[in-house]
Amino acid sequence: IPLMNTSDSEEEFYNERTALVSSESPTMATYTQDSQLPGPADTETKEGASSRLARGTAEREPAVESEDEELTLKYGAKHVIMLFVPVTLCMVVVVATIKSVSFYTEKNGQQLIYTPFTEDTPSVGQRLLNSVLNTIIMISVIVVMTIFLVVLYKYRCYKFIHGWLILSSLMLLFWFSFMYLGEVFKTYNVAMDYPTLVMIIWNFGAVGMICIHWKGPLQLQQAYLIVISALMALVFIKYLPEWSAWVILGAISVYDLIAVLSPKGPLRMLVETAQERNEPIFPALIYSSAMIWMVGMAQTSSPEPRDQETGQQATLIMRGIEGLGFPSAGGVKLGLGDFIFYSVLVGKAAATGGDWNTTLACFVAILIGLCLTLLLLAIFKKALPALPISITFGLVFYFSTDNLVRPFMDSLAAHQFYI
Amino acid sequence: MNLERVPNEEKLNLCRKYYLGGFAFLPFLWLVNVVWFFREAFVKPPYTEQQHIKTYVKRSALGLLLWVAALTTWITIFQHFRAQWGEVADYLSFTIPLGIP
Repeated sequence: IPLMNTSDSEEEFYNERTALVSSESPTMATYTQDSQLPGPADTETKEGASSRLARGTAEREPAVESEDEELTLKYGAKHVIMLFVPVTLCMVVVVATIKSVSFYTEKNGQQLIYTPFTEDTPSVGQRLLNSVLNTIIMISVIVVMTIFLVVLYKYRCYKFIHGWLILSSLMLLFWFSFMYLGEVFKTYNVAMDYPTLVMIIWNFGAVGMICIHWKGPLQLQQAYLIVISALMALVFIKYLPEWSAWVILGAISVYDLIAVLSPKGPLRMLVETAQERNEPIFPALIYSSAMIWMVGMAQTSSPEPRDQETGQQATLIMRGIEGLGFPSAGGVKLGLGDFIFYSVLVGKAAATGGDWNTTLACFVAILIGLCLTLLLLAIFKKALPALPISITFGLVFYFSTDNLVRPFMDSLAAHQFYI
Repeated sequence: MNLERVPNEEKLNLCRKYYLGGFAFLPFLWLVNVVWFFREAFVKPPYTEQQHIKTYVKRSALGLLLWVAALTTWITIFQHFRAQWGEVADYLSFTIPLGIP
């Protein structure tokens, strides 16, 4: 389901999907800051997503294997932490904006063309029906785009994909940030003149394009990816109608699950094609927690660090895919779509949920989900969808907190009863 | 991108490109250049290309300072005189605050 729409207008949106993918390469501790991984030796295999722990090789000592396991888990744990920070940052930015800039919570009737059915209907049933219909349309758009992308990738139309991605990041970096700045200035009643504004937007956008699509410092690239995810999430929060947003979140998690895990799923096909071709990934849609080395798939003992730009990873996925995260020699990767949908969930909880309890509950839920997903990633070492677990937990926590915990806390406070 | 693993020539090349790019009204690019290559230029033990990298970093810093000065001046002038300029100021304004200045 990775999906990338470039669009030049505000109505179309830039959508990304995610999955977590595990790479072949986790053995190579070519990155100096990594935890000590044991030598690669025999474990690289060219085909499939076989576990690094060389379950196939008979000659390994059980002791060495369990040591490997331990190191893998520690390595995994370290990268869980490394992903917590950006996900948290993204959510913090979104929640802060939602709470302060009222623009993003105002519904003035404008909707995306992908969600044509309005929710302004007299009856509950009608509203529910409309939101389900909106979801169906949205998901089918996403499916179509994903399949289109897979086809493009299979037939090696790299230029097209590249151009598409550049256009969409251009739109995000310039247009959406322009809108965002305008709203922030209006909220804080600050005078801003055009020359200064043009300088700000031009600098922000141009350096962003350079960092993301070319070469730049890793932290700056990570920061930009977080910012554009937050911007995208804010656009979603503003333009998706209430109930549709929740149904879409649920549906997208299910779709993610199917697309990544089922044998005919587009994402999985994409992963496998990328693995077969042993190609580097375009950096722009994947957040990588560390500098990656391109590790040869067929390497045995010493992988050659042919380094490429940040985010290029030996095994996987091409960039159009949102949300393929995978542990690489240098770190874990998580697709930007994951960031976006997590932030949409927390942002909506902040916008409509009433008070901070709900928001915090959702935030914690998502982090727990992310933890579990990464744990599964360390265990299974194959492509995993990052959305389902987190979004499920998030939705459960949101609805239960909103409807159960909040009235409970309110009446406790009303009766001055402290527990 | 991690500078550790990059050969020195490429570092020089990158620094140079960032320096040249900054001339396109991009002081932010110069700032990134200075921050990113500061350690390379001044802290690390000398190597062949380091001299050139130093020049680029210094020039980027200079350009950055000039831009910051220019922008600060303009912003101060604008904010101070905005109300007095009347129509011209409105034309230049992206957002106009509400209330009495």
